[in-house]
Amino acid sequence: MAKLTFVTALGKATTVDATAGETLMRIALDNGVTGIEAECSGSMNCGTCHVYVAPQFLDWCPPRSESEEDLLAIAASELRDNSRLSCQIVMRPEMDGMVVHLPESQF
Amino acid sequence: MLDTNDRIPQSNYDPYHDGALPNPFPGYDMLRDMGPAVWLTKYEMYALTRYSSVKQALNDDTNFVSGRGVMMNEQLNNLLVGNTLCSDGDMHTRLRKVTAAPMTPGALKSLQDEIRMESEGLVDRLLGDRGGRFDAVKDLAQYLPLKIVSNAVGLAEEGRERMLEWSEAAFNCFGPENERMLRSLPVLGEMVEYANNQAVRGKLRKGSWADAILDAADSGAVPKEAVSVLMGDYLVPSLDTTISGIVSAVWHFDRSPDQWDKLRNDNALLRNAVNEVLRLEAPLQGFGRYVANDVQMDGVTIPKDSRVICFYGAANRDPRQFENPDRFDIARHNANMHLSFGFGTHQCLGMNLARLEIVSLFTALLSRVRRFHVRNEKRLVHNLVRNYELLEVEVEFD
Repeated sequence: MAKLTFVTALGKATTVDATAGETLMRIALDNGVTGIEAECSGSMNCGTCHVYVAPQFLDWCPPRSESEEDLLAIAASELRDNSRLSCQIVMRPEMDGMVVHLPESQF
Repeated sequence: MLDTNDRIPQSNYDPYHDGALPNPFPGYDMLRDMGPAVWLTKYEMYALTRYSSVKQALNDDTNFVSGRGVMMNEQLNNLLVGNTLCSDGDMHTRLRKVTAAPMTPGALKSLQDEIRMESEGLVDRLLGDRGGRFDAVKDLAQYLPLKIVSNAVGLAEEGRERMLEWSEAAFNCFGPENERMLRSLPVLGEMVEYANNQAVRGKLRKGSWADAILDAADSGAVPKEAVSVLMGDYLVPSLDTTISGIVSAVWHFDRSPDQWDKLRNDNALLRNAVNEVLRLEAPLQGFGRYVANDVQMDGVTIPKDSRVICFYGAANRDPRQFENPDRFDIARHNANMHLSFGFGTHQCLGMNLARLEIVSLFTALLSRVRRFHVRNEKRLVHNLVRNYELLEVEVEFD
């Protein structure tokens, strides 16, 4: 099974088995990774599942939609080029080994 | 209208019956087991009670539209069509941009400190002056919505004082045309009258949320004729729903003291705990949708021009989605998947505010309260809102 690594703002890394077809948000929550809130449960209304995708994996992700851009703009933590909403990225087998950094805060 | 789709089961069960409302869950279980949709013969609408069915309808705003109303009777649908709740597509986006603007996480930052301080002050008073004996409805849950939210909305004093009563009546009117709905109509009429004549320039507090709707109408951001119904987006749902969430949390923490201990040991679980309460006790048990085209739903066809009722309270306890669904587990890994705020484009626009209030209040309670003991409870029998008329508690505190 593909592996996915979440790294907290303090540098603590957790690697989990990632089911293809699930969103990064769901994978994090189902594996007890803290630091992603996803308070709108994936409706793209809250911006609290903000993550930074390690740059070398960005090409695997679909481009940001306009609504995602809008929410990232008001997210609590700094907006960077590799900022994404983890509810908008669906895990694929080719993404094995992907590294995702969590922001300091989602609020 | 008759259900001509012979594959969809029918039931004469009435989820809005006096006997069903206080504990709707066995009825939901029964409907959920019958199929992805069940034709309610009494109301001639399809009940959606499975998680997958409710989510499908909420997520598909092309086929399950809101622009012909989301209430369970035509009178209300006709009355409110054109507000944010009851609109679709580009117009909905345009309206929501205005009505949701004060509720974005960034915009709420200005209220954060005030809500935190008010929460701490309230808890100190309830424990100090009241010795830890109070009514969780009137003394605890109503405080922040009345003190802060009704002020933010911006009605003049006489209007503010009636918001709770209006809200309860309005939501009763959202249900099917039963005795409760008919009894509440005159009160709703007073709210509409107020929205038309008092929620106007000069009478609303300058800079308030309601006043901003007038600004938006002046600038052309929203149509002028929509102003009155848009007021409904603030007047109806901003108090009762949050109050329900707070009271339900107290009720569950009395029943599951181990969960309160767990939360006291790890405050980081609070936001998830709030989700878990909202999952179990959806403050609003359901909204409807109009079916604009024939739609496939898990093997059956929901026919064009029918109406469905999305029972959030049932979807949230679907064992296909939530393991051991009736169990209160503040560490549940998928508690955030509840549908109590709806889902998709119409998801509750006050969600961030409601969470801010509930989290602030419980942060204050967590630092002092060791145990909740419910001494007396009386459930509110209501078409939509899950709440108590009274929940007298006694708390042990530090």
